[in-house]
Amino acid sequence: MTIKSIHGCIGCGECVQSCPCDVIRLDPSSGKAVIAYPEDCQICHLCRLYCPVDAIEMSPEKTLPVITPWG
Amino acid sequence: MKPTRTRLAFAAALLFIGLPLLLFARAPVPSRTLLKDSLSILTILAVALLLGQFFLARTIPAVQRAFKPPRVQALHRWIGYGAITVLLLHPFLIVLPRYFEPGVRPLDALVTMLTSFDTLGVLLGLACWLLLLLLALTSHLRMRLIKRFRISYRAWRGFHALLAAGFTGLALWHAIELGRHTGWLLGGFFALLAIAGIALLARLYLPERHRPAPQAEGLHI
Repeated sequence: MTIKSIHGCIGCGECVQSCPCDVIRLDPSSGKAVIAYPEDCQICHLCRLYCPVDAIEMSPEKTLPVITPWG
Repeated sequence: MKPTRTRLAFAAALLFIGLPLLLFARAPVPSRTLLKDSLSILTILAVALLLGQFFLARTIPAVQRAFKPPRVQALHRWIGYGAITVLLLHPFLIVLPRYFEPGVRPLDALVTMLTSFDTLGVLLGLACWLLLLLLALTSHLRMRLIKRFRISYRAWRGFHALLAAGFTGLALWHAIELGRHTGWLLGGFFALLAIAGIALLARLYLPERHRPAPQAEGLHI
């Protein structure tokens, strides 16, 4: 599991839209993001980077450095 | 007189600064960068100190006796303005770290956050923000409002208490709904402080006929 936890989700769905592997879904009952398919996570960090309230935590032991265009 | 003051100040610091910091440290959430954790601590302390305002509102006679009332009022005013400033900045402080990270731009994050109307926690947060702004404005302009609407100072104080109690209830709900560190421990602690504070305030504002009759000192009838 690479996404460690989601705390304080506001249910905006940005992480769901940004995830290329469909790992995160919005829970229909609570309206908040849940880690639906953790084994599919490719550690791209897009969900974390696009979360407006910084609610997503990644497991540090499996974290890859973020690739930026400036190096 | 002095030891009582020292003891009261120490108890207040322990209750409204020490204990929230301890519960923050014990919260079962992963720690983040220094900036993000500092902003979380600042917000938690602002909430705790704002809850402490209930105990500086003539609700505890021992506080009034130990410190002179003007000093208690000044403390109430300055802690209030400080904590309110931090909490009014709270939505902006959440997105502040985005200036130093890749990913979503701070302004985009703010707009997304403030327009997530499907989430109860966000709606509660917006309502709290507006109530807090009203609380700050009506406190700052109290003398003008009293003159303009020809109300007594006591009536304004009742309105201020009602607004504060309403804000506290909604803010607590918002924090429990969305707060990162507000688990059952810190949330329960804040709820206890709020209940105790509002109960003391309600006791203070009970109509005169419900209060026990004043008795002369040493006279037991």
